[in-house]
Amino acid sequence: MAESDSPDPPTPAPQRKIIHVDMDAFFASVEQRDDPSLRGKPVAVGGSKARGVVAAASYEARKFGVRSAMPSVTALRKCPELIFVRGRFDAYREVSAQIRAIFADYADEVEPLSLDEAYLDVTSDKAGVGTATAIAEAIRARIKAETQLTASAGVSYCKFIAKMASDQNKPDGICVIPPHRGAAFVASLPIGRFHGVGPKTAARMNALGIFTGADLVAKDLVFLAQHFGSSAEWYWRISRGIDDRSVKSNRIRKSWGTERTFDSDLTTREELSEALDRIIAINWDGSSARGVRGRTIVLKVKYADFRTITRSHSLPHPVPDRATFAATAHGLLAALLPVEKGVRLLGVTLAGLVHDETADDPAASSEPRLPLLFDDEAEPNAASMAI
Amino acid sequence: MGSMKATIERATLLKSLGHVQSVVERRNTIPILSNVLIEAHADGSIKLMATDLDLQVVETIAAQVETPGTITVSAHLLFEIARKLKEGSQVLLSAADSKMLVQSGQSRFNLPTLPRDDFPVIAEGDLGTNFELPAQTLVQIIDRTKFAISTEETRYYLNGIFLHVADDDSAGPVLKAAATDGHRLARVTVPRPDGAEGMPDVIVPRKCVAELRKLLDESDGNVEVSLSASKIRFTLGHAILTSKLIDGTFPDYNRVIPTGNDKLLKIDPKAFMEGVDRVATIASEKTRAVKMAVDHGKVTLSVTSPENGTASEEVPGEYTSDSIEIGFNARYLLDILAQIEGDTVELHLADAAAPTLIREGDKNPALYVLMPMRV
Repeated sequence: MAESDSPDPPTPAPQRKIIHVDMDAFFASVEQRDDPSLRGKPVAVGGSKARGVVAAASYEARKFGVRSAMPSVTALRKCPELIFVRGRFDAYREVSAQIRAIFADYADEVEPLSLDEAYLDVTSDKAGVGTATAIAEAIRARIKAETQLTASAGVSYCKFIAKMASDQNKPDGICVIPPHRGAAFVASLPIGRFHGVGPKTAARMNALGIFTGADLVAKDLVFLAQHFGSSAEWYWRISRGIDDRSVKSNRIRKSWGTERTFDSDLTTREELSEALDRIIAINWDGSSARGVRGRTIVLKVKYADFRTITRSHSLPHPVPDRATFAATAHGLLAALLPVEKGVRLLGVTLAGLVHDETADDPAASSEPRLPLLFDDEAEPNAASMAI
Repeated sequence: MGSMKATIERATLLKSLGHVQSVVERRNTIPILSNVLIEAHADGSIKLMATDLDLQVVETIAAQVETPGTITVSAHLLFEIARKLKEGSQVLLSAADSKMLVQSGQSRFNLPTLPRDDFPVIAEGDLGTNFELPAQTLVQIIDRTKFAISTEETRYYLNGIFLHVADDDSAGPVLKAAATDGHRLARVTVPRPDGAEGMPDVIVPRKCVAELRKLLDESDGNVEVSLSASKIRFTLGHAILTSKLIDGTFPDYNRVIPTGNDKLLKIDPKAFMEGVDRVATIASEKTRAVKMAVDHGKVTLSVTSPENGTASEEVPGEYTSDSIEIGFNARYLLDILAQIEGDTVELHLADAAAPTLIREGDKNPALYVLMPMRV
């Protein structure tokens, strides 16, 4: 193949700051949080029956080699003590709404990959925190405070490396890869950990003597095209730490939020309740006028000391009317009363949307889904170019 | 640079290029991938070949070959030229000095070429599983499932038809084909062909499915299927389609096929489909929700739209359980009903929020599962 067929050399783009946030052993951690008897024990979410599959495994279970997508029978053989619990997707979705509300405070460009992980483009530093690393730490701290769950974060200049980095110091860890270390970081990774390289592709790469990023970068584009088809250019780029994909937010509207900051802090039950009523009215009028319907109601409270908390409640069906919406939001607020400090901001978000006016693709819409368990929900390892 | 000279009937060339050029992507960063490889053999045959690196098609057609040789030219250009040439004409292709001359009647085209050495060929490797399927069976498998294939790229392992073999309690060894986009599932079960035992589970990408389906239109008899865990090859008469498989794990779909739905509605699929289609006229483009009120002896279909008003229609049906109201995406329902050929379709319902099983009967190879909408 001629020289001109190679992708263009990397052009110096304005430096971006990308964070990949990934909850640690998400489903299993939620179960351990909600059922203290499961803490410290090997737990698998999924069915224990003959045909069951492990959807998620706690870190205790992983020590025994239990992995997501593993047949339950195999998992039990590896870890006879393993405790199986049924997945509670409503609980996972509720936490998901909470963490997405946190992300929204720090970035306008948020691209969720699944319930428990997302890319954030924090180049503009919306909240004025300072550095991308400080933003990632702030997000992790808030997730821990508001959900009692831990998250890991990867901070870098592109999505691919941020994603790989979030895995580096799991659980409850952070890894920052500055641009000058990008290529070396990729070179050091085993090929099987590359996002987008599935087990079959990894095996094929191994057969070709490619075990690490360093091995991959040594192969030229023609060789890669012969063996990996249309994915060749992608591999060629990522092995050099080049990934220009932008963080795509708003592909689908995920929530409908309204919040107001008050001129002076609110302290009494009456003031707060009245303010909440106004916010509920604005939110409901706006969302219902556009046919937006959702199952989850999220209340956000920012105190005078800027500490922010969110509380959410999911109904089994979309919020049917304004009265239910208002009653649920007031219920969430009542649980926080009386407030010790003044409240400077109140917000209400309708999340878990079921009808989406922007979704052209029926599969991407939030219509009710068949209760399939996906590998990438089990242990997120989503988007792949590897066919 | 190779030379080549051959004469082909315009109709033959056009038909074959039609198959070949649709594999070629419109936009290519690698120029050779825009080209079709033309290989003229002394035995009076020409091979046309195209690839997008994941999918490759090779078609063999008859020609008068004067000088055997191989060349590559733009697939879309040659197809457009062939399309516009006079009906019933002969086309002379002659390659020399990095150009290919196309002559027919008074028309002459001189096209740039690229050497064949650069043309990528998919390395098939060892295709350890080999079996034959009647073309008609393959048509059924594809038509009954392909509408449910997901286009969502994040769940790339749903972007194809899942093929696997299983031992069915009642039917013995079977080959199953399934597709889902997370909202609906379609599955076809056929007896396991000889040679398919022990085959790896594979996911055939939608582009391969679409190209295969086109080729099947002109094919009868048997199709040879050869596959490994990473590649699949279909041989149909004069065409060979080779594709990479999707490297991923298809979810355990059996868990969403309801087994205990005890409310059975039997209905004429044609009347039902027409009714759904009629009331859906006023459904908003985005939601497309149609409500079914199922009662003894009848189904009342209705749609309420804030912009367009209301519509309803009553369709007679056989039903003896407690009455139930359930909503579906009209388009999904129509997609499924369009697959029903008999004069009765069964809807096995549980409640308004549970997956519904739709099939012609338990003897029919196809079954469908549809998630209701809240209405």
